[in-house]
Amino acid sequence: MYIIGENIHIISEKVKEALKNRDAKFFQELAVRQVEAGAQALDLNLGPRKADGEEVFPWIAQTVEKVVDVPLSFDSTNIVGIEAGLKKVTKAQPIINSTSAEQERLEKVPLVAKKYNTKLIALTLGKSGIPVAADDRVNIALEYLIPRALEVGLPISDLIIDPLVLTVSGCQEYCPHLIEAIRTLQFAWDPPPNISVGLSNVSNSVPRENRSLINRVYCAMLMGVGLKMMIADPLDEKLKETIRIIEERDESTPLGRLYLKIADRINAMEEPTIDDIDQTDPEQVAIWKTVQILLNKVIYAEGYLEQ
Amino acid sequence: MPVEIPKDKWPGSVRTVTIGALPKDGGTRKCTVTVGGETTMPFLHYEGEIPNRPVVAIEIMDRQPDDWSPLLAEAWKDVMDDPAKWAVAAEQAGADLLVLELSLNNRNGEPTTPDEAVSAVKSVLAASGLPLIVFGPGQAEADNALLVPISEATKGERIVLGICEDKNYRTIVATAMANDHLVSARTAMDVNLAKQLNILISDMGLPLDRILMDPTTGALGYGIEYGFSVMERLRLAALQGDKMTQLPMIVTPGYEAWKIKESKVGEGVPETWGDWLNRAINWETLTAITLLESGADVLVLRHPESVKRVKRAIDELMSAKELV
Repeated sequence: MYIIGENIHIISEKVKEALKNRDAKFFQELAVRQVEAGAQALDLNLGPRKADGEEVFPWIAQTVEKVVDVPLSFDSTNIVGIEAGLKKVTKAQPIINSTSAEQERLEKVPLVAKKYNTKLIALTLGKSGIPVAADDRVNIALEYLIPRALEVGLPISDLIIDPLVLTVSGCQEYCPHLIEAIRTLQFAWDPPPNISVGLSNVSNSVPRENRSLINRVYCAMLMGVGLKMMIADPLDEKLKETIRIIEERDESTPLGRLYLKIADRINAMEEPTIDDIDQTDPEQVAIWKTVQILLNKVIYAEGYLEQ
Repeated sequence: MPVEIPKDKWPGSVRTVTIGALPKDGGTRKCTVTVGGETTMPFLHYEGEIPNRPVVAIEIMDRQPDDWSPLLAEAWKDVMDDPAKWAVAAEQAGADLLVLELSLNNRNGEPTTPDEAVSAVKSVLAASGLPLIVFGPGQAEADNALLVPISEATKGERIVLGICEDKNYRTIVATAMANDHLVSARTAMDVNLAKQLNILISDMGLPLDRILMDPTTGALGYGIEYGFSVMERLRLAALQGDKMTQLPMIVTPGYEAWKIKESKVGEGVPETWGDWLNRAINWETLTAITLLESGADVLVLRHPESVKRVKRAIDELMSAKELV
């Protein structure tokens, strides 16, 4: 699993504060911690920065590149600011996060990706918003995103399709459709484009204590259909343990066998069943309940684990 | 060519909830109302059971309301300033049960006192033998201040107390538990929040067969399709076996339909809109019937003519059972 570390994100109060103070040390420490924890690239989400993007993006790129060598992912809608940042990158091939299929963005952003030889994350998002159905998301990739990349001469190997994770709290019906979108995208083009998602979005507006569980169960399900890249929290040890279990097919523990079973079921287009779990083990019961909400079988509520 | 109608076999069912208590059960009601128990989507009699017909409640207030349409004032005439008389008139108009809504302020413009509220409730209970739902003014502090003494003064009547919302449910649930009443749980058109509130209320120890849920709906032309979808989803989840969604649903089409322009305004609207009274009643009736089709078990209405029409629709929808 190729993890793009998500922790430099403006939604965090600490990041907001550090950015205001241009606290280089804070960002360097956060960058190093993520890379040491296994992040293979770093997402830099500092918001649109309409007023000062052309100053902030170069600053953050230079600051972070002083301490790590991994690719930087510029996560913003401010393409002018991103371009200013890209000019300062000296190490690995950077990533632009992102374009969508909206006409204006699709016109401009891939040209910048080509000009600076970056990878490009492209969201399956059209002008009419995010489609629910898996096929509609795949169609946006096939009709708009991939053709545009080819048109500007961006190699498919540099294109990363993001079929969009939405929160189980409020957009529950999107969750199972994403699984099918990832499954289909891998067979929709030759050679297949890279696929990445923002995993933690699935637990947005979920109480903090339940977020990691939802994230790692969804991760197991998405790995079942072949997900190999994602923006996620590399500091989440339980998430990484889940990834390790599935990648190494480690069947040595009951929990490991359950995560593998979930991934295998999803891979085979089956649904995990109650017989797959040991109902005397509270952790397995919690995983089962989480599968049920992620497959949209049971309506999500904050107290879904207590039900 | 014979067509086979596909049928679902649902593992779950809606809970049965009884409102009101007879003298032999510790209350003073002359009848009770039982709702819920469905094992299929609305009115699919060929597929499952709909053991209890949906019911119509008429909404009355503890005093002449300030902001109700003149058309409603015309319909109810002089009973509106006396909740006991209004209750009797509502019963005569065909209500299966009553909703008494308390005003934030009394006739003198001062906050309604607990004594005034209790005496309004008692006068309604004395005047009519129908089961009763009591809604507070809708502000947390006032609701708690008024509903607790009402609950204590009417112990054993199995009144439905409302409104429980995520910000304010503990006091109301506690007093309902202590005094053998029920509660109504309201959330703003959101399946996740609706289920969560049911979980919170049931966590306090109130049995699920003493909870109605109010998913809120919007009026016809004003977002009712969102309300419809939320209700449909909650009901599908209930039939699929999700315990925390298996509660009968109460909706307030009277409130929703009478606050929108088409019902509220009689002058300065296009002539093609037609007769005002007819339009307003149609609006309330069609809002109610739409909600009936999305799974409502208790419909709270305001105009006596709408009550007549909606009850006729329920008769027809329930008699389709004979055709199966």
